[in-house]
Amino acid sequence: MDPSGLIPVADSIPTHWGWFYFFLILTFILHLLLMNVMLGSGIIALARHFKKGSDPCPICKDISLKLPYQIAFTINFGVAPLLFLQVLYGQFIYVSSIMMGVYWLSVVGILIIMYYSAYIYDFKYDQWPNLRLYFLILMVVLALVIAFFFSNNMTIMLNPEKWTGYFDDRSGTMLNLSDPTLIPRYLHFVVASIAVGGLFMAITWQFKQDPKAAAHIDQGMKWFTYATLAQIGVGLWFLISLPQEIMLLFMGGSTLHTVIFLLGLLGVTMILVFGFKKMVWPTTAGLIMTITLMVLMRDLVRNAYLSPYYHPSERTVMPEYAPLFIFLAVLILGLGAVFYMLKLAFEAGKEA
Amino acid sequence: MNYPVWELYTLGGGFWIAVIAVLHVFVAHFAIGGGLFLVLTEKKGYRENSKQILDYTKKHAKFFMLLTLVFGAVTGVGIWFAISLVSPAPTSRLIHTFVYFWAIEWVFFMAEIVAIFVYYYTFGKMQRDKHLLVGWLYFIFAWLSLFMINGIIAFMLSPGAWLETGNVWHAFFNPTFWPALFFRTFIALMLAGLYGFVTSSWIKDPDFRERMIRYCAKWLILPFAFLILSGLWYLSAVPEGAKAMILGRSPEIVPFFRAFIWLSIIIVVAGLLFSIRMPGSIKRPMAFVLLFIGLLYMGSFEWMREAGRRPYVIYEFMYSNSIPVEMEQEINEKGILSLAKWVENRELTDENMLSAGREIFNLQCISCHSLDGPLNDIRPMTAKFGVYGMDSMLNGMGKLYDYMPRFMGTRQERLALARFIVEDIHGKEVTEHTPAEVPVLDFDIPPFDPDQDEYVLLAWNTLGLKCITDCDDYWSLLPPGNTIYAQLVRRDFLPEIVLDDVVITYQVDDGFENPADHVAFWDNAHSIVGREIPRNVGLAGLGMQGEFKLNENLMTFVAAGIPVVPYSDDGTINPYPFIHVEARDKNTGQVLARTKTVAPVAAEMGCKTCHGGEWRVQGRMGISAETASDVLRLHDRRNKTDLMARAQAGNPVLCQSCHPDPLLNATGDPELLNMPAALHGFHAHYLTDRQGAEACNACHPSDPDSLTDCKRGVHATTINLDCTSCHGTLEDHALTLLKGEYEKGKTLRAERLMRNIEPRLVVSLEDINPRTPWDQQPDCLTCHQDFGRPESHEVSAFNVWNDDVGELYRLRSDFMGLMCQSCHGATHAEYPSLNKYGRNRDNVQPMQYQGEPYAIGANNNCAVCHVMEMDFEAHHAGMLDGTRNRLDSY
Repeated sequence: MDPSGLIPVADSIPTHWGWFYFFLILTFILHLLLMNVMLGSGIIALARHFKKGSDPCPICKDISLKLPYQIAFTINFGVAPLLFLQVLYGQFIYVSSIMMGVYWLSVVGILIIMYYSAYIYDFKYDQWPNLRLYFLILMVVLALVIAFFFSNNMTIMLNPEKWTGYFDDRSGTMLNLSDPTLIPRYLHFVVASIAVGGLFMAITWQFKQDPKAAAHIDQGMKWFTYATLAQIGVGLWFLISLPQEIMLLFMGGSTLHTVIFLLGLLGVTMILVFGFKKMVWPTTAGLIMTITLMVLMRDLVRNAYLSPYYHPSERTVMPEYAPLFIFLAVLILGLGAVFYMLKLAFEAGKEA
Repeated sequence: MNYPVWELYTLGGGFWIAVIAVLHVFVAHFAIGGGLFLVLTEKKGYRENSKQILDYTKKHAKFFMLLTLVFGAVTGVGIWFAISLVSPAPTSRLIHTFVYFWAIEWVFFMAEIVAIFVYYYTFGKMQRDKHLLVGWLYFIFAWLSLFMINGIIAFMLSPGAWLETGNVWHAFFNPTFWPALFFRTFIALMLAGLYGFVTSSWIKDPDFRERMIRYCAKWLILPFAFLILSGLWYLSAVPEGAKAMILGRSPEIVPFFRAFIWLSIIIVVAGLLFSIRMPGSIKRPMAFVLLFIGLLYMGSFEWMREAGRRPYVIYEFMYSNSIPVEMEQEINEKGILSLAKWVENRELTDENMLSAGREIFNLQCISCHSLDGPLNDIRPMTAKFGVYGMDSMLNGMGKLYDYMPRFMGTRQERLALARFIVEDIHGKEVTEHTPAEVPVLDFDIPPFDPDQDEYVLLAWNTLGLKCITDCDDYWSLLPPGNTIYAQLVRRDFLPEIVLDDVVITYQVDDGFENPADHVAFWDNAHSIVGREIPRNVGLAGLGMQGEFKLNENLMTFVAAGIPVVPYSDDGTINPYPFIHVEARDKNTGQVLARTKTVAPVAAEMGCKTCHGGEWRVQGRMGISAETASDVLRLHDRRNKTDLMARAQAGNPVLCQSCHPDPLLNATGDPELLNMPAALHGFHAHYLTDRQGAEACNACHPSDPDSLTDCKRGVHATTINLDCTSCHGTLEDHALTLLKGEYEKGKTLRAERLMRNIEPRLVVSLEDINPRTPWDQQPDCLTCHQDFGRPESHEVSAFNVWNDDVGELYRLRSDFMGLMCQSCHGATHAEYPSLNKYGRNRDNVQPMQYQGEPYAIGANNNCAVCHVMEMDFEAHHAGMLDGTRNRLDSY
C-alpha cells in the first residue's frame, strides 16, 4: 500500500507557514528547557535521596518547592508547540496519535497523577520524611513514561510507511519500538534533562546566601558536565541510528544541515569547557544556544523524514492576518502582566 | 474519511470526550467564578478586618490552586487530546480556523498560572492592594480564557455567517457567542458558591462556618436569576434546528433538558437549605452531595449543547461522524469505501462484506456509538434487526429524526454495514429466504345444475384480503371484520337481481367459529373500541353465522364485519377459510341457491422485520408481543405518547382513535394525519428505491413467498403485474396520501413527511395527484379504456383516482345493478385467480356456474344467468371478446 495515499488532506492555514514555524521552534525551545529542568531536577533529587537516605537534603527541599511550578509551566509551554505542530503537521500527528491512542490518551491521567505526586512531595516534604520518596519516584517514573510516549508519537508521525500497521491493529496500541532511533532519541532527551537539571541547580544556588551554596553549585555543574559528556555518546548513537540518507545530510550532504550540526557541536564543546570551569552563566548562555541549534536540527530531521510526502511550505494559505497581530499584541500585554506580577512577588520577598 | 479511526469500541461513542469534558468544565468554570470569589472574599476580610476570613480565603486559595491548576488545566489539555483522537477532522478544522485564538487563549492561560501562583504564595506577604490586584488579574485572565474558548465552542453550535463568508470573525463572534458567554459566566459564579460550601463546611468554628456558608449561598443563588435570563437568551440565539432538537425533537436530549430544569430548582433549594444551621458532620458530606449535583447540572447543560448540534459536530458544516456536509452527495454516488483514505476494502465482494461493513461502521457510527459501552451502545439499539430490517433502518436514518446523520454511501455499502451489525456484532446467522410451506387444501365446488337451477348466487369478499392486527393486548390497527357481498340472480332470458322475499345467510367454515379463542380483540374491545363486544361477534354486530342485510342502493346483500381470523380451532393457519352462503325464500324457507366464497384474512404484516420479535403463532403468522411493544415504545418516544404504559395497564388503543381512517369511518383527531398517510408516509423513508413490490411486500402479505400471498388475481399471477403497477411505488403511494392530507390543511405534518420522499413514477411532487385513502383508488378503466385490452402490460394505473367513492371497483356496478365484483371477483383476486391453497379456491363461483375459472359470463357463458347465449354486450363493451389471459389448466 502506498503510504502517501494514507496521508490526510490538510486544512488551509491563515498566515504564511513561516509564522507557525517560528512559533513552533520558539515555544518548543522554551518547553524543552522547562521540561529538562523539571525532569532533571526530579531525577537529581531522586538520586540524592537514594544516596543520602533520609538525611537532610537542602537540594531536594529546594527542588520540591519548585517542581509544581516547573510542571505547570512545562505543560503550559507544551501546549503552544503542540498547537503549532498541529497547524503545520496535523495530518501526521493526528494519525500517529490515533495509532497509539491508548497510550496517548493515558498521558492525561498520568500527567494528573504525576502533578499531584509532585505537590505531595512538596507539601509533605517535611511531614513525611520517608513517604515523600515514593511520591518523587512516582513523579519521575511517570514523567519518564510520558516522555517515552512522546518519543513514540514524534517518530511514528515521521514514518508514514509504518502507518499500514494500522490495518493489523486498530485498537490504538501501536508503539514504535522497532524504530532504531526511538531509544537513542528518547535517551537524548532524558540525558539532556539531567544535564539541564544540574545546571538549573547551579543557577538556583547562585542566588542563595547559603554557606553550602558553592558546594551545591559545584555539584550542579558536575551533573551538567557528566551528563553532557554522556549526551555526546547518546547523540552520536541517535545520529547513526537515523536513516542513512538523513544522517548524510548532516555529514556534508546538505550545507545547511551540516553547518547547523557543526555549530551544534561547537556549542557542545563550548558548554563542556564552561561547565568544567564551573562558569554558570556562560554555560547557561551556551546551553540555550546549543539547544536552539539542536531544536533546529531536530526540525531538519523531521522535514527530511517527511520530504517524500510533504513540506510545510506547500500549505494553502487563506490569508487572515488580523488574528496574528492581535495575538502578538496580547502576547506582549500578557508578558507585561506576567512580569509585573513576578515583580510584585519578588518585591513581596517571596519567590513565585 | 480523512483519518484512521481508533477502534475504541467499548469506551467509544465519545465516552472519553464526555468524561473528560464534563469534569473539565466543572472545574474550569470554578476556575473563573472561584477567582472572583477569592478576590472579593479577601476584600471582605480586609473590610471586616477579619483574620478568620483571610485565613479561610488562603485555605480556599490552596484548594482552588490544587484543583484548577492541576486537574482543571490538565483535563483541559485532555479534552484536546481526546478530541484529536476521536474526531481528528473537526479538531483539525477548529485548530486551523482558530489557531491564533487558541494562541491568545494560551497567553491568558500562562498569565493565569503566574497569577494564581503569585496570589497563593504571597498571601499575607504582599501589600493588600497589590495582592488584590493580582487576584483581580487572575480573575480577568481566567475570564478572558473563557471568552476565547467560548467563541470556539459556540462556533460549533452556531457557525452563523461563517458558513457563507468563511470569515474567522464571523466564526468567533457567532450568534450564540454573547449569550453563551454570559450564561457561562453566571454558571461560573454559582459554582464558586458551590465549591465555597465545600471549604467552608470544614471550618471548625461553628459560628464562623455558618457565616461563611451563608456568604457562599449568596454566590450560588444571586447569579441564578441572571443565569435563567441568559439561558433564555442563549436558547433564542441557537439555530432553529438545534433549538427544536433541544426542546424535544431529539428524544435523547429530553431527559437532560428535564434534568437541567429540575436541577436548577434543586440547586437553589438545596443552597437555601444548606444555609440552615446544622452540625459540620452533616454539612461536610452534604457539601459534596451538592457539588455532585452541580456536576450533574453542568453535565446536563453541556450534554444538551453538544447533542443540540446533532447531527453535526460543526453545525451544517460537518457531521458528527466527521464527514463534511459538502461530501455527502459525492459519497452517495461514489461510495465511502472509495473515498475514505483509511480503508482496506475498496471494492465490495461477497467475501469482504463483513470486513468492509466494519470499516464503514468505523467511519460512520463509532464516533457516537460504543459497542457494549456506556455511551450510545449500538448493541441494544440494533438487537432487534435482521439484515433486511437493519438495512432499512439505515435507509431511513437521519431523514425524519435528524439527530443522526443519514447513512452515506452506496446501496451495497449500506448492506455491508447492515450485515456487519447483524452478523458480526450480534452474531446472528443469516439464513436463506425460503418460501413459506403452504398446504394445498381440498374443497368441494358447490353443485349447480344449469338446466334445473333457477337462481345464481354470487358472493365475494370486497377487499380481496382483510388484514388484521392480532396484537390486541398492545394495539389494534385492523380489528377482525370481513365484509361479504352477495347478489342473487333469478335466471331468465331477462334475468332479475332478486331483492325481495329472500333471506341470505352465511356460515363460516368449521373450525373458524371461535375467533375469540385465538385473538385477544374481545378481551380488549372496551379499550379498543370503547364498548364491550360479545365474543365472536364483529363490530357491526354480526357473528360467525348470520343474515345478510340488503343494501338497496347497491342492490346487494351485505354481511359487514364478520370477525373471521386465520386461526382454526384445529391449530392450523388458513388465510382463506370459506364462508358458506345460502339464499332461501323468505316465505317458504325453500333453498334457492348455495355457494361459498373465501373470507380472506391474514395477520401477516411484516412489522417484525424492523420492530423485532417473531411471528406470534407457530412462527408463521401474527404480531407478537415483542413486535407490538417495540412499535408502541417507538411511537411513544417519537410522539410523546404513553401507549406502552396504557397497554401495560390493560388499556390498549385503536390506532384510529387518533388517526382518522375512512376504512373504519374513524374521525380520530382531525389534526393528525390519517392512518394510511401516517403509516406509509413514515415508513416510506425506510424503504426507498426498492425494486418492484419489495417495499410493499416488506409490510403487506403480498410477497409471493409469504404464507398468505394475497395477490391471487389474474393481474398478479398471470400477467405478472405487481402492486406498483396500480398503486405506484411506496414513495409515490405515500406522496399521494400525504399530498391529500396537505391539501386538507395538515400542512406541517404532511410536509414534514413529504420533505424527504422523492417520487419515482412522476417527475416531481407537483405531478402527484392527491387522494383520500380507501375512498380513492386506482381505476380499472385507466388501463382498460372502454373496457378494452390495454396497449401492453407496461401500462400503469397509478396517479388516476376515482372522484367519487361510488366509482370504486368494489362499489361499482353496471347500469343494471350487477356489481363488477360479482362477475370479476374480489379485488386482488380477480378471475381467473390462482390461490396457493388450492388453485381455484378464489374461483369457486365461476367453477360452480360455468366449470371454468373466468369471469362470470365470459366466453359466451351468458347462459349462467340468461339461460341462453347472448350477442349483445349489455354489461360492458368487449364482454363477448372472450378471456385473453387463460390459465393453462384448471
